[in-house]
Amino acid sequence: MTQLALRGVPLDRARVLRLLQDYGVYAGVLALLLANVLLTPHFVSAENFRTQAVQVAPVIIVALGMALAIGSEGVDLSVGSVMALSTSLISLYLGYGPVAAILVAVLGGMLVGLANGSLIAFIGVQPIVATLALMVACRGLANVFLPQLKDVRDPTMASLGSGSVLGIPYLVLIAVALALLVAFTVKRTTFGRQLLAIGDSRPAAQLAGLPVRRVLVVVYVVSGALAAIAGVLATARLTASDPTSLGTLMELSAITAVVVGGTPLSGGRVRIGGTVAGAVLIQLLTATLIKHDLPPSWTQIAQAVVIVAAVYAARERGRR
Amino acid sequence: MKPTVRLRRNTDRRTSAPTLLTAGLCLSLALATGCAKSEDDPSDAKDTGKAAADAGQEVAEPSGDQKTCDLTAFGGKKLDLKGATVGFSQSEKEANPFRIAETASIKAEAKERGIKLLTANAQSQFSKQISDVQDLIAKGADVLVIAPLNSDGWGPVLRTAAQKKIPIVTIDRKINAEPCKDYVSFIGSDFVEQGRRAADRMIEATGGKGEVAILLGAPGNNVTTERTKGFKDRIAEKAPDLKVVFEQTGEFAREKGQQVTEQLIQSKPDITGIYAENDEMGLGAVNALKGAGKKAGDVRIVTIDGTRGAVQGIVDGWIHGVVESNPRFGPLAFETLDAFTKGEKVGQDIVIKDTEYTEDNAESEIGKAY
Repeated sequence: MTQLALRGVPLDRARVLRLLQDYGVYAGVLALLLANVLLTPHFVSAENFRTQAVQVAPVIIVALGMALAIGSEGVDLSVGSVMALSTSLISLYLGYGPVAAILVAVLGGMLVGLANGSLIAFIGVQPIVATLALMVACRGLANVFLPQLKDVRDPTMASLGSGSVLGIPYLVLIAVALALLVAFTVKRTTFGRQLLAIGDSRPAAQLAGLPVRRVLVVVYVVSGALAAIAGVLATARLTASDPTSLGTLMELSAITAVVVGGTPLSGGRVRIGGTVAGAVLIQLLTATLIKHDLPPSWTQIAQAVVIVAAVYAARERGRR
Repeated sequence: MKPTVRLRRNTDRRTSAPTLLTAGLCLSLALATGCAKSEDDPSDAKDTGKAAADAGQEVAEPSGDQKTCDLTAFGGKKLDLKGATVGFSQSEKEANPFRIAETASIKAEAKERGIKLLTANAQSQFSKQISDVQDLIAKGADVLVIAPLNSDGWGPVLRTAAQKKIPIVTIDRKINAEPCKDYVSFIGSDFVEQGRRAADRMIEATGGKGEVAILLGAPGNNVTTERTKGFKDRIAEKAPDLKVVFEQTGEFAREKGQQVTEQLIQSKPDITGIYAENDEMGLGAVNALKGAGKKAGDVRIVTIDGTRGAVQGIVDGWIHGVVESNPRFGPLAFETLDAFTKGEKVGQDIVIKDTEYTEDNAESEIGKAY
């Protein structure tokens, strides 16, 4: 009897932790939703859910790219600055029409991604260092292009930021579409498999003859493009280009979403659903604290608790 | 072992091509802006020339009992400001209207007086500002104008300046040091008073009844605490029926102001007024209200700063009042230094008079906004 119980306890604990890591973030989102439905006045309204979804959309888009970078055992710190670069490019090229401006902005993001990827894949710079360099460079470049906030009056941009189809804002539709696309890529394509193999063990992938460099470059190009798209959407929503403050600390929000979503920092595994849920969890947490008018420092503490919990669950798992 | 070696050699061989590629890409990105074409901007035709000159600062109350400072008390020697070198240390990069107008005003005044001006910008890094000021002293600045990033931590620099008897005027923020010994005078706005005046506008706009929200500035900033204190004190004193029901930071940025206001109008749809501690957050709040389908005037907004965008907001009917925080320190700073170096008495605390923009004067005075 006692022996059975003893053997049973650690097993159960392992299972609980495993479940916690795999589904903890969803449980967290559900728990927060439930608490808000019970405690927050005016929470259950379409308008409110739309607000939360619109606010979280850029974070989700950036986090998708971050999830890929982290899955390849890297990280992309330049995403926030790429958003700033993209917003300044939009403002600079809006004279050619919104489509051209958006293309230039996304192209700019991809170029930054190409620089990141080249540094990492060919020259062998650590991802954290390479993307840190680009993070500083891009913020500076964005400020050179556009030294101060500038209003965006283009009607197409404005409708991109605030328009909707059947009550669902464009921003949310775009974020969902991109999430599905990235999830499909990771799960079902050769590229996705190669990415995970490289994240698991780069030397092994190289020995197996996988196109390591190409995959790595593509990962960072995609991450740059996604960040630039997020920058475009944030600009459209704000109807202004603000390269000094747009995207500041976005890299940390994105990493938080990815880590909380259960993607290990050691690479080799990417959880897109978890990443989206992670971003939603942080958004709901922030919204709850703001709606109840609690001091902003509480939000940071609450976020820290969530991150530590997520990392704790991941650590226990990694040991087994 | 062998494979690893081979792999490494592989990477080495390929190094130069990608480096060139990367450099080329960065260059092309930079060149790409050469053919940039931005949106036509009707408000860009800022005829700030004459209007700006009109909006120079005035001293609020030159009352007699104010503490003053002169050369004998400070211990310096007379000099003619005309032939002197003035060093100006700016705290934050000129990326927001306030800093842009502040630096421009200092530069314009120096040019007008034909004074040699050395400038430095600390880019929001306090350690850089300290070394900036040391550099300015080393480069031979006879007098200094400093827009401090922080109030504390100035000890070592001030000692260096004091040894050389360099008069210092600080603008917009104060330094925690002994006036007339470590520095000559402080010229700036009274942020508590700005908060009080914003409260007056809010009371007028709401009739003294209802619920208001505060969009706070960046946490831990004296501007935030003082603008909050003045507002709350005046509300408590004059309109006890006006309740502050919501206080969240928008970090002085438009995007944060918009996000927080969106949460606010979801959870408190009956909010009467919003007090934004700077114009940018107020404009973010306007965005949020528009997005929620509200109409101009549904929620009364009062902001502080007096930037062009916010004053335009009054003209459009979205913003009820803007309390100005005048950034044009040039004329007053040089006037003070000129008087001081001639041996005259100057005030230790020079509080400037800030105007207000309301529905009555917004249209006619918009040229003065920065």
